[in-house]
Amino acid sequence: MNRKRAIIFNTAIICSFFLVFLRLADLMIFNHERLSEKAEQQHIKIEDMQVRRGMIFDRRGREFALNLELESLYCDPENFLYNKEDITKLASIISKEPEVIISKIPGEGRFAWVERKLEPVTAERVRKLDIKGLGFVPEAKRFYPKEELASHIIGAVGIDNQALEGIELKYDKYLKTAGGKVFFGRDAAGRILSSGVDIESKGNNLVLTIDEVLQRIVEKELDKAILKWRAKAATAIMMDPFTGEILALANRPAYNPNRTGVASNPEKRNRAITDCYEPGSTFKTIIGVAALEEKIVNPDTLFDVSEGSIKVGGKVIRDVHKNEIITFMEVIQKSSNVGSIMIGLKLGKDRIYKYSKLLGIGEKTGIDLPGEVSGWIHPPERWSGTSIGAISIGQEVAMTPLQMLRVYSVVANGGFLVRPHIVSEIVSPDGNVIMSFEGKDINRVISEKTAVRFKEILKRVVGEGGTGRSASVNGNEVAGKTGTAQIVNPETRRYSKEKYVSSFVGFIPADNPKLAIIVVIYEPKGQIYGGVVAAPVFREIANQALSYLNVPMEDDFLQKPAILVSR
Amino acid sequence: MGRYDKWLIIVTLLLVLFGALMIYSTTSVVTPVLAKKGVTEFYYFKRHIFTILIGFCFMLLAYTLKPSFIKKMAIPLLIISSVLLILVFIPDIGVAAGGAKRWIRLWPSTFQPSELVKLSMVIFLAWYMSLPGYKPDNFLTFIKPVFIMIVFQIAILKQPDFGAAISLAFLTFAMLFLSGIRLRYLVSLMVLAIPFVLKLTMEPYRLRRITSFLNPWEDPRGSGFQLVQSFIALGSGGLTGVGIGSSKQKLSYLPESHTDFIFSIIGEEFGFIGVSVIIVLFLILFIKGISAANKARDRFVYYLATGISLMISLQALINFAVATGMVPTKGLPLPFISYGGSSLLVNMAAVGILLNISKGEDERKVPDTDKEILARRRARRTVYGIKR
Repeated sequence: MNRKRAIIFNTAIICSFFLVFLRLADLMIFNHERLSEKAEQQHIKIEDMQVRRGMIFDRRGREFALNLELESLYCDPENFLYNKEDITKLASIISKEPEVIISKIPGEGRFAWVERKLEPVTAERVRKLDIKGLGFVPEAKRFYPKEELASHIIGAVGIDNQALEGIELKYDKYLKTAGGKVFFGRDAAGRILSSGVDIESKGNNLVLTIDEVLQRIVEKELDKAILKWRAKAATAIMMDPFTGEILALANRPAYNPNRTGVASNPEKRNRAITDCYEPGSTFKTIIGVAALEEKIVNPDTLFDVSEGSIKVGGKVIRDVHKNEIITFMEVIQKSSNVGSIMIGLKLGKDRIYKYSKLLGIGEKTGIDLPGEVSGWIHPPERWSGTSIGAISIGQEVAMTPLQMLRVYSVVANGGFLVRPHIVSEIVSPDGNVIMSFEGKDINRVISEKTAVRFKEILKRVVGEGGTGRSASVNGNEVAGKTGTAQIVNPETRRYSKEKYVSSFVGFIPADNPKLAIIVVIYEPKGQIYGGVVAAPVFREIANQALSYLNVPMEDDFLQKPAILVSR
Repeated sequence: MGRYDKWLIIVTLLLVLFGALMIYSTTSVVTPVLAKKGVTEFYYFKRHIFTILIGFCFMLLAYTLKPSFIKKMAIPLLIISSVLLILVFIPDIGVAAGGAKRWIRLWPSTFQPSELVKLSMVIFLAWYMSLPGYKPDNFLTFIKPVFIMIVFQIAILKQPDFGAAISLAFLTFAMLFLSGIRLRYLVSLMVLAIPFVLKLTMEPYRLRRITSFLNPWEDPRGSGFQLVQSFIALGSGGLTGVGIGSSKQKLSYLPESHTDFIFSIIGEEFGFIGVSVIIVLFLILFIKGISAANKARDRFVYYLATGISLMISLQALINFAVATGMVPTKGLPLPFISYGGSSLLVNMAAVGILLNISKGEDERKVPDTDKEILARRRARRTVYGIKR
């Protein structure tokens, strides 16, 4: 025993206790705010999860995009015991290779996704396996109940509900949940213990101008045409020619937005606005309208096309069928290349260019869908000697199908260039209309007289002796134009002899237009002419659409109240 | 014919009950995965309560033991402890967890021999230092217990259990220091130990632990993680705490929240006031233990009471210091409070011994008389005097 040492030692121990006191006071009182902040930072996770994106409806309130509450499987590698049997079982339930699962689990850390957004049944089966270190987090999955229908319009989102395509992308800032943030209280493993009120926040809903029934009609007919003509691709757009509202817009091939992962790029392409084509004869309307508006011709002006060919800049361009002396009206009706070039030569480069620009060629239509291209028409100073001939028959100029449809809408609505659009309203979650798109940006580009006169000509195209006869619809008069254009072979940089684009664009009923429709079939096999390939598709679409819309028939012999025969 | 010191039993009772409450608080949040394994919110709590009940039996038993009997048991206990320590390494008996073999199978649970080793060492040292031939200024006298300690250290480090080894070393050195061993022996042994400690700390994870306590914020997600989480727990508690059961850090942020780092959760839930109460309770226990020692007339009893007080207080101090980042992080349970049966049982038994000693009636039960003690003290003083 050594009393002195005992006193020294015991004092030292008691002093140490007081040192701990001081240290604790420093940590707990003087650093309280700083450390509390740190605690909050790690306890509350701000997830940028789009739990409830706004929904997307068609013009009649049918749902095109909604949210499903699913569960996502994650792994806490620290608590996860590697067990081959467990992994094999898990792999078979979520239909993955065991190696894939193993590769997703890192060696360290506390959180890693294993599989996102599992179906409820699958999640339950995984839960029954009861593997330590696995857990679930609820997540909302974007779901497109109409699947492929209108996929190019609606678009898609990714696994984190990030906008990828279509309306989802264009209107992302409205569809996103307010602030786009969701608050979770969580433990170190990221397990969600409580969630802030923001989980209930919803994005704005969109009401589209499209109509599911019309969309279905268009897509069904495109499918048939693709099958019949073994075509590479196809596009059809249906628009209200007065307002620019898109009623239906479809492309083939298409994809299922619920499975964007397996969709190829050609399938995802919204050809109606992202692909240009050289329109061919449908472009003659621009030449014709310009000539009428400039009073260079009137419908009865005669053109001698009896030679069947014309030489422009050293290049000979021929007609498909030989004609004699025909009127201006017949040039369009019979789609005479020679006649059209004669008109083009009368107009001259500058006026062709001026009217092309006026009718929206080489400029985006401004439709509210992502990825629209402007197409092109070269300014006159860059034209070669043969250009005026080529452009007069719709080559050497690139347009999207939507641009072409808009040109015909000008004729249909009496001279106004509409702005195509697809969203009619943005509605807040509590039902207030935030934005409305009706009657926007409509300018007169040609006189009403020209429009009416040209409409008469377009009616003849579908009438007796016209190229578009097979577009005629029982009971209502159609005004439209066929088109058959050559495609430049990218390898030879010359026009291909096998590949054509067949199209028909027009509106119905001709004197009181309700629908403007364009049908473009890319690379049909067997037949190439727009009158043969595309015009019947137009007829089928128009027939069904009119009976769906209850448009009364104009024909004298069928004047009974609308009988819906061809739904 | 004195009564036992009631403060000892009150403080122990308070600590144990408060510990049970904290065990419930830190283990009652059951993850779904654990739930399916049969772990309920009361799983740990029930086991802990069961241990406490056995602990009280141990305490009572130890209370009834006469110090003279304990003195006789010093060597056998040391042997039992060494055997148990070896059993840890025998497959089927030893239980490994988290890369360490620290437990032996003991139906229905496990036992951690290193906890018993501490108490055995205290009893052994008390016995050794009370031997008539104990000469504090003799090197041979000094080196014998140090040798035994080193043997134990090697076994414990082999498990490995760095924390237990360190606390055993502290305890042994403290007792040797108190017995009046020449300082130069202690100092030179510490100097000799430095290369060994350095070699041990070359194990990467230990080195990281040791350096990270200096600035845990440098790597808050790696080596500094546990300490940063401990700071966050203590800091968010503030003066009054977030309220019982409301700790967020226990939700698997702070590793070992129900064992080695339970002190931080107490700080989070009960604030500075709560941890102060805990520290004061340990301080009372220490002071009361020392005063029980001072009542003793017998050298063995004196050293035994001092040793037990030190065993508990040093461990508590180290635990506090670890949780507050004052010393490098090492795994040591907080006596009476942390989950873990072995530590609780040994400490409660130790308090039982202390209670007996606190009665202060040992003088007649041992052969030493006042005169003999005084004579020896006088003799030593003369020796010192001559030396000086």
